[in-house]
Formats: sequence, structure tokens, C-alpha cells
Amino acid sequence: MSKESLINRKHIVLRMMIIVFIIILVLSILLAVTIGAVKIPFGDVYRIVLYNATHFKIGSLETGILIGDLDFASKGTMYEIVWNVRMPRVMMGAIVGVLLAMCGVVMQATVQNPLADPYILGISSGASLGATFSIMIGASAIFTGFLATMGTAFWAFLGALGAMALVMTLAHIGGGRITSAKLVLAGCVVGSLCGAFTNIIVYIGQDAENMKNVTYWLMGSMTAARWHNLPLPGICAAAGLLFFLTQLRTMNTLLLGDEAAITLGIDLGKRRRLYMLITSLLSAVAVCTCGIVGFVGLMVPHIVRGFVGSDHRFLLPIAALSGGIFLIWTDVLARVVMPNSEIPIGVITSAIGAPIFVYMMIKKSYGFGGGDR
Amino acid sequence: MKLETKDVVVTLSRKDIVKKVSLQVKNNDFVGLLGPNGSGKTTLLKSIYRVLKPSAGYIYLDDADISRLDYRQTAKRMGVVSQFNNLAFDFTVEDMVLMGRAPHKKAFEKDTEEDYAIAHEALRKVDMMDFKDRSFLTLSGGEKQRIILARTLAQQVEMLILDEPTNHLDIKYQIQIMDVVKSLGVGVLAALHDLNLTLMYCNYVYVLKDGCIVAHGPTEEIITEELIRNVYEVECSVERHPRSGKLHVTFFSNLKEA
Repeated sequence: MSKESLINRKHIVLRMMIIVFIIILVLSILLAVTIGAVKIPFGDVYRIVLYNATHFKIGSLETGILIGDLDFASKGTMYEIVWNVRMPRVMMGAIVGVLLAMCGVVMQATVQNPLADPYILGISSGASLGATFSIMIGASAIFTGFLATMGTAFWAFLGALGAMALVMTLAHIGGGRITSAKLVLAGCVVGSLCGAFTNIIVYIGQDAENMKNVTYWLMGSMTAARWHNLPLPGICAAAGLLFFLTQLRTMNTLLLGDEAAITLGIDLGKRRRLYMLITSLLSAVAVCTCGIVGFVGLMVPHIVRGFVGSDHRFLLPIAALSGGIFLIWTDVLARVVMPNSEIPIGVITSAIGAPIFVYMMIKKSYGFGGGDR
Repeated sequence: MKLETKDVVVTLSRKDIVKKVSLQVKNNDFVGLLGPNGSGKTTLLKSIYRVLKPSAGYIYLDDADISRLDYRQTAKRMGVVSQFNNLAFDFTVEDMVLMGRAPHKKAFEKDTEEDYAIAHEALRKVDMMDFKDRSFLTLSGGEKQRIILARTLAQQVEMLILDEPTNHLDIKYQIQIMDVVKSLGVGVLAALHDLNLTLMYCNYVYVLKDGCIVAHGPTEEIITEELIRNVYEVECSVERHPRSGKLHVTFFSNLKEA
């Protein structure tokens, strides 16, 4: 009798799925660059991308790898559109999608609540308050020096951090361990508090142009993406992903509840503080670079969980990759659906995601990651 | 392996629930913890498995103060089956049991053939191997309880803390679970409601009332008609059963005609 491997085949399939999703992400990036309001032939797009991405190696006489006429590849309108507008935008979509989906997964595990995401925990509303303040009142009206010169992104980041600090402090009141119920409630309190202040600022401000800007920012957009503002979110996403990939087993154990986690050797209070701190920072970075893109942090983890289960060893990487893929394509839609205009990406993420989620809910087997096989 | 508590006091909402409790579980003792509802059994056990912090006193695991050990070290040596609490997320039964391996694994380590073998062995012991691909949340309360026991078995510990492990179970599985636990030959501290099960399996008992230990000693010496009247406030008779040879408790109703 040959000895059969005991390792569940499901795990092997899921491991292969991670690789498939990496490939889809790369293909998505490559395809999304070719789509936009201005029609540019495939060949030209890739010549520009290849030439610039290899630091002018491919295509130059030096290396001898020639890919045709390259006059347009380092200057002119087509170069500007492909390399300086579309490429950073697509990359930003991928990075922010990864960040948001990853934060959603980790937050849901941390507070053991399937409804957790940067919204529920008050972080996005803090960022909104910061951004609204910056746009409507303007930092220069109140502060001088360093603070007066900072842009909307900085204030959004500050707002997010402030909200997080407040949530953590509230959750600590009364002493004892931070429980998931306390965290979620504190998040709701801080969320509505920030919402109220945001409304007051908008109400007092009464400036039509600024109001439009605030609304636009609140709905999220990738338009601000340029090469120079990619590194910060990029590095954060990579570092966050690397860190959480070492925490997958711990996150699984967290899902079993406080008591089980402790008896399986997890220092619950310490993990919870650490994860909250890191995800708050990461979502603050995501929100401050492209406004509030709703839905991704909450729904992408859920949809992926419906297919791969609650096991974080598969859920986290696949959800993070799916978040990236999802945001790349929603951003493509945002660019092309209305001619000569752009739809806020938050609108599209919700419009696509909500029906998918409803379908997942109706499907009988959806049990937050279980279901009979 | 030895578990020892010394003058442990646990305070909840400014009220002392457990008052200066000292007890000891040695090697492969099967120790029962008895007492009526609200006597502090669960609270005491929670302080032992570190969900609650005692406000005074010490808990030792092999002479090491557990408050100085990290959680992982205690999890490698002490396993817990508590009164079941529900989950918001779902796992398959097999994955659930594999999580018992968590304290033994490094952060980035994969589950090996050996881990699967241990998990499957644990599932077989609780007679749940056929359920390994089922979703945990679709199981009945008793089945869940057996899976939690299997997870604790997969932890391969030398000391088991059980908080009413036979709750939700029908009589067949009550006996099965107690048999499994007994046959492991590890130290056991179990809060139990059923005095007859206690008489069948425990070789030593502590009796709690209002947070204090009111009696302790070898099971057959402690469980007497008088003690049950004092602690549980019911009438009963304790007699040796002709077939099992063990003491057996029969309770009487307060109604005249019954």
C-alpha cells in the first residue's frame, strides 16, 4: 500500500491560486495601461513602457535590442500620457487596492468581527475630517510655518492618525484588555464625531468650489497619482505585506475568539495593539493618497473568503492581490465609462461590489468563510 | 507536570469571586472541581489558563510562576477545553483541529505531514474523522465540543484544564470524552457538574462554595450525603453500585409524591 500524503489537497490548490492571482495582477497592470480616453496603439504603448522601464536599455543602439522607431518614446504627448499619467495611475490602483484589502483582512481578524474595515474603525472618517479641514478652511488660515504649507494628503493622514489614537484610547478606558466590542464601538463613536465636525466645516465654509473639491476627494480618485507620490504607499504596502505574511497563523488563531487564542499561546492584547497600529497607519497612507475608496477594505476580503475560506495563509495573499486587481479595473472603468469625464472611483467600487456581495450573501453556503465542500 | 495554585484571589467588579484558593494537580491525577453554580469554578479555571489575572496569589506550572511565562510556553504545556463560545468566522473541522498545532509552530512554518497525522489521530480519538471536511459552524453543540477537545489533543500537552467538558453531550459522548481524557494519562483539572461522572473518573476532588474550598480529598471520601446536603442543598443517598463497584449518588425530589 503506497502511503498517501495526509496534507489536504485543498491547500495545494489554494497555494497554486496565489500564483495565478500574481499573474493576473501583472497582466492587469499591463493591459490597463493600454486603455484610456486617448486611443494609443498597443505596440506603441508597450514600446514606451519597455523603453522607459528598462532605463532606455531596450531600444537603444547600445544594447542592440531594437524595437522600432522610438522618437515618441521619451517625449511628446503619447509619452506623457502613457508613462507619466497612465502608468503611475495603474500602479497606484494596484498598490492602494492591496493596502486596503490587506487592512480589511487584518482588521477583521483583529477585532474578530467580519464587519471591520477602515470605515467602521473610524480611520477613514478621521482622514475625511483632515481633508475637509484642509480644503475648506485651509491650513494657512490658522497655522504658520511647516503646518501651513502642507497639502490635503498630509492633513488627511493626520486626521486618520488622530482618529486611530482616539479609538485606541477610548477602547482602553475602564482598564482591562481591549475587547473587539470596545474597539468597534469606539470606532463608531469616533466615526460619527468626525462626521459631525466634517459637516460643520462644510456648512460654515459655504464655498461652492471648495465643496465640490471636498465631495470629489471624499469619493476617491486616482487622478493625483504621479511617479513621485508612488514610493511612499508602495513601500508601505510591501512592508505591511511582508510583516503580515509572518503573522498568518496568529491571525487564524485570533479568529477563534479571545479565550481560545490565549489558550493557544497568543498574547492577545499585544497582538491586537500591534495590528491595529500597523493597519491604521497603512490605511491612513492609502486614504491620504487617493481619498476615500470605500468598499474595497470590507467587501474584497469577504468575497475572497467566500471562495477560499477563513484560513489567512490563503485569504491574506489572495485578498491583497484581488484588491489590487479590483482597483486597477475599477479605475479603468472610472476613466472610460463617461467620455471626456471621470467618475469617482468610490462610486464604481460600490456599484460593482454591492451586487457581488449580495450574491455571496444569498448563496446558502456563505458562512463567513466556511461552507461544506 | 505539576499545576499548583497558592492563595489565589480573583476579583471581578470589585467582588472577590475566588478567595484564597490553593490546590494542586500532580502528574496524572484526574482532579475534579465541584461546586454549585456561581461558586467560582469557571473563574478559578480562567485565572489558571490566563484569561483572568488573579488579584493576589500565585499559579505555578512545574514551579514556574505562569505570569512570568509567555503565552506560547503555557500553551505548549497546558491545554484547555472551555464552555464553548461561538465563532463569527468559519473553518473546516480539519483546519480547526490543526490550529492546536499553533503553539508548536514558528511564524512562517507550514503544516507538515506530522501535523496532519497528529490532527487526524486526535479526530479519530473523538470519533469525528468522518467530519473532517465539514464546516465547523454547521456542527451541533456536542460535535463542536468534541472538535474542541480534538484541537486540545493536537496541542499535545501534559496538563488539561476542562470546564464542564461534557456539557451539550449525550451520555455516550460524555463517557467517550471522559474515557479519552482519562486514557491520555496526563494531569487533568476538570470542573464538573455530574457527581456520578466525578465518582467514575476523578481520583481527587476539590469542592468550592462561595469562592472558598470547603473540602478536598480522594473522591470517595469527599462525596458524602452530608457534603452534598451542605454544598448543593439537596437530599440524596450515596451507595456502592453492585455492578460498577463505584459509589453512586441518587438524588431525591422535594415533592412529597415523587
